[in-house]
Amino acid sequence: MEKPVATLERGTTCSSWNYCGERLAAGSDDGSVSVFDSREPSSSSLTSSSKFKVHETGIVKIVWIPPEYGDAIACICADGALSIWEEVVEDVGTQLLQWKKCKCFKSSSSKALDVQFGVMGRSLKMVTACSDGHVKVYELMDPLELKNWQLQAEFQNVIDSVSSFRKASCLSACVSWNPQKGENQESSFVVGFNSNTPQLNSSKVWEFDPAHQRWLPVAELASADDKGDQVYSVTWAPNIGRPFELIAVASQKGIAIWHLGITPDLDGRLSVEKVALLSGHGGEVWQMEWDMSGMTLATTGSDGMVRLWQSNLNGVWHEQAAFEPTP
Amino acid sequence: MPGVASDSGGGASDSGGGALVPFNPEAQVAVVYPLHHGLKPPVSRLSISWSRGNTLRVSVFCPEPSVDDSGDEPGGKVVEVRLGGGGGEISDAHWRRIAYGSVIPFALLQSKKNAALTLSKMSMNSSPYNVDWLEYVIEYSKDINLLLGNPKLPPSPAIDDPKSVLKKGEEPTSLKAAWELLEIFYADKLSQVWLPERLVDWLADYDCLLSVSHSTVHSKLLSFQGELVRLQIVEDYPKYWEVMSSALAVGWLEIVVKMLRLHGSYQLDQLSNRETENGLVEAVAVLISKMPRMRPELESGKLGECFKTKPDFMKAWEKWRAQLNKLELSAFWFQCSHQQTREGLRNMLQIMLGNANSLSTATFNWIELYISHLLYIRPFTMGLESLYSLAQKCIQLKPMAGAHSLMGLIIGILGENSEVVLAECSRGFGPWMVAHAIELLTAGSDHAEVLLHQECLNLGGISLEELHRLVYAQVLSSHALTWQIAPIYLTSCMKQGMGLLEILLSKQPVQHNHLLLKNIEICRLYDLDSISSSIMKISGVYHWKHGRKDSGVFWLQQARDEVQLNRIAQQLFDSVGKTISDESFKQWEGLIQLLGSESKTAGGLEFLHKYRDFKKSLQQVCDGKTTDAARQAVESLISLMKNPSTPQRFWLPLLHDSLKLLNWQERPLLNVSQTNLLLNKLQELSLARLRPDFIEADLPPEGLSSIRLALATNLGRAFLEE
Repeated sequence: MEKPVATLERGTTCSSWNYCGERLAAGSDDGSVSVFDSREPSSSSLTSSSKFKVHETGIVKIVWIPPEYGDAIACICADGALSIWEEVVEDVGTQLLQWKKCKCFKSSSSKALDVQFGVMGRSLKMVTACSDGHVKVYELMDPLELKNWQLQAEFQNVIDSVSSFRKASCLSACVSWNPQKGENQESSFVVGFNSNTPQLNSSKVWEFDPAHQRWLPVAELASADDKGDQVYSVTWAPNIGRPFELIAVASQKGIAIWHLGITPDLDGRLSVEKVALLSGHGGEVWQMEWDMSGMTLATTGSDGMVRLWQSNLNGVWHEQAAFEPTP
Repeated sequence: MPGVASDSGGGASDSGGGALVPFNPEAQVAVVYPLHHGLKPPVSRLSISWSRGNTLRVSVFCPEPSVDDSGDEPGGKVVEVRLGGGGGEISDAHWRRIAYGSVIPFALLQSKKNAALTLSKMSMNSSPYNVDWLEYVIEYSKDINLLLGNPKLPPSPAIDDPKSVLKKGEEPTSLKAAWELLEIFYADKLSQVWLPERLVDWLADYDCLLSVSHSTVHSKLLSFQGELVRLQIVEDYPKYWEVMSSALAVGWLEIVVKMLRLHGSYQLDQLSNRETENGLVEAVAVLISKMPRMRPELESGKLGECFKTKPDFMKAWEKWRAQLNKLELSAFWFQCSHQQTREGLRNMLQIMLGNANSLSTATFNWIELYISHLLYIRPFTMGLESLYSLAQKCIQLKPMAGAHSLMGLIIGILGENSEVVLAECSRGFGPWMVAHAIELLTAGSDHAEVLLHQECLNLGGISLEELHRLVYAQVLSSHALTWQIAPIYLTSCMKQGMGLLEILLSKQPVQHNHLLLKNIEICRLYDLDSISSSIMKISGVYHWKHGRKDSGVFWLQQARDEVQLNRIAQQLFDSVGKTISDESFKQWEGLIQLLGSESKTAGGLEFLHKYRDFKKSLQQVCDGKTTDAARQAVESLISLMKNPSTPQRFWLPLLHDSLKLLNWQERPLLNVSQTNLLLNKLQELSLARLRPDFIEADLPPEGLSSIRLALATNLGRAFLEE
């Protein structure tokens, strides 16, 4: 049955596990972050090993940076500031580990809503989705220092690059990288918005075009009459060998499961097919996560339940099980 | 968690259930499980994260506390739920033993299978499945069966307790019972002739498992055994006769004969009064122990007479039946005054004569009725087809409320429905069972072979066999003690196994050295070079940032990560300090030593290594050593300046450090061509200064001019010398 792993302090608002599931970072409404570790390698119960103040406002989201770049997290705060912190030994003599602020992105005009990291060849990319409907792609300039970021691209989440929406106001946004790290694979991510501008909302897949050094929209994950629907969450499934990609998109209509083709057509677009529309959480979907094989999708939402979804042998998606939190 | 164990074992493993009946998404309602977190309600938000394998972690957050709230309530909890695998009747530790134990039989079978496939390709033989092959499968099945529990009963006590009719052995498990069923029907093809008798044995071993939820012959026997100790004249109790008839109906002959001998007429003081009665009891007992049975052998202590071939068996059977009939029609019954004995014995005769009503009364569920029919009504049954129709008839006569997983499995097997068999294996016994039972199914049934090996687009282009192996490997990945055996199963998957293995390996923690080495070893074993270098890179960065610079450099070198190593070299150079007398020289000297041995892996490190040599000899020069040391230093300087990997921004500081060498009192240390080389470098620098990305070296104001002057002086002196 279920087993308690850690106890969180009062005021904790969000949490995030690192790549191997051995460290937990928890953000609090007072702007501090606690990092939990297990005392012994074999033990599964975690205790707080360090706590540090990140910002004056509360923390709404924490994302771990890929382990190739150290033990580091990115925090999004309630006022939209985004800061990057890493755990290092500053003084070799004392061997004292501490969390150090590497970089803070703050803009008066827009808030950061989501941030995700992707390893692309030898470089680390950071995608942020902002409240003005802009998507920004940064590149880390120095692999050993998490402070030098260069803005590589900035665009709005629209297929037609000519249109621009100046007065967009977004409540939330969600970014998910294609988890594959293959050497010869172009990196891509999917992003969707929850905004007052219908054109920005629908989830679009963006792929890097190395020939022209720019990001191009290669697919839109919305049927004709759902294009303006606000998107709560998107998540790209790991692909261990399927001949297509699998992406889950949550909107007010439910959770849609999309198949995304792998080979582009003549226009460079990828074929898309909605294979399921699952309803369960009723209202907003808070979070969706694929398991390591990309066969099971776990979701949680405003009905306060955790639900697991799977496809059966006939390719039909259905709810496999649900968990109801009880005291 | 027992409930979810099989259901959400992952993948579409259980959706074989969906294949049973036309799938109707509306009809399927997901089971809701409680998730206990121990917090005071309400809960404001949840956050989920998959950990290794099928482990799901849920963070539960409480809303902001109100002002008057007492302050000791926690703000949230993180709980972990492991889905699939384990649970039920078998403990976690036992599951792990089974998991580890089944690796070798599985791997052995796979290698034999691959060898057979290669051979069949070579000889253009269409099927790799021949007699040898079946031998491998039965061997595999027996190995696995042994793991699931020891069937042997404890040695019988020297003095047999006449009143203990049921022997106590190891508690059998449904898992073992299910495996044996599969073995009987799919693997052990050579023993199919004796199928009914094997089923009799199977029920004798596992009827007790059904007792948990249903009444069975076993449960009746057990409860009667409790009463037996207190009973004085057993034959007066109707239950004595009932229980014996039941045991006889399912073929537990030894128990019946042993119980018959408890009959009061055997007692010495009664023998004379109840001679006829005793004769009848003994006649029935003898007939029971002489029952002909179609099987190769009988364990010692078991009753009946064995016949290996059907004609012999049929002949003996007719003879035995004739004897039964003769006894049934005998006049002695009228002389037997004990009513219960008379009726009880005659009922037993009816059972042996195959009276359907008596059999139905004596048995408690369909499988018992089924076995009794096989024993006494259709002793010559062969082939699955008639077995299935008989089973359906028995189910109609004695339906079981609440399906037992074993019963579902039997029905699937008898109905030759591989989908049902798979679904029942998955539902009842989980991913381990399915992944391993597939080997028996594919060997034993052509239909199953096609079903399991067919690649299916709905599954992402893999076969059912591969899907179930992937699902099982994911269950193994969930636990720190079992993930190491997951690669064995993943590498047996042709299409997606390696993909999952790569993900599994890249999710292992790198900070524990023994784990890291294990990880790298697995990568090496399966040629996963890119994963292995990524793991080493993660480890290198981890150690570097956590203050263990030497381990950091070591692992980055192993990963051949030149980008990071060059950066480290640069950082080292920066931290070295600007002058040779700096204290920090000693600190980084050792590190460069370490970098040195494999300096070819990265240009930057090669530079640093040479720089170390240069600084060392320069130090000696400053310490007042001889001209030899100075020559050494010049050599190093020239080699540094010639080397293309020496960053341009270091040229001036290097030359500035070498002023003393350039102005050597005794004689010029650099010859004409060497001096020219350095002058050319200066020229190159002055051109580079025009470029926007040029970094100005940190030198004293008159630094550059003094270098120029020294070089010019040296050039003049060198000309004179030559």
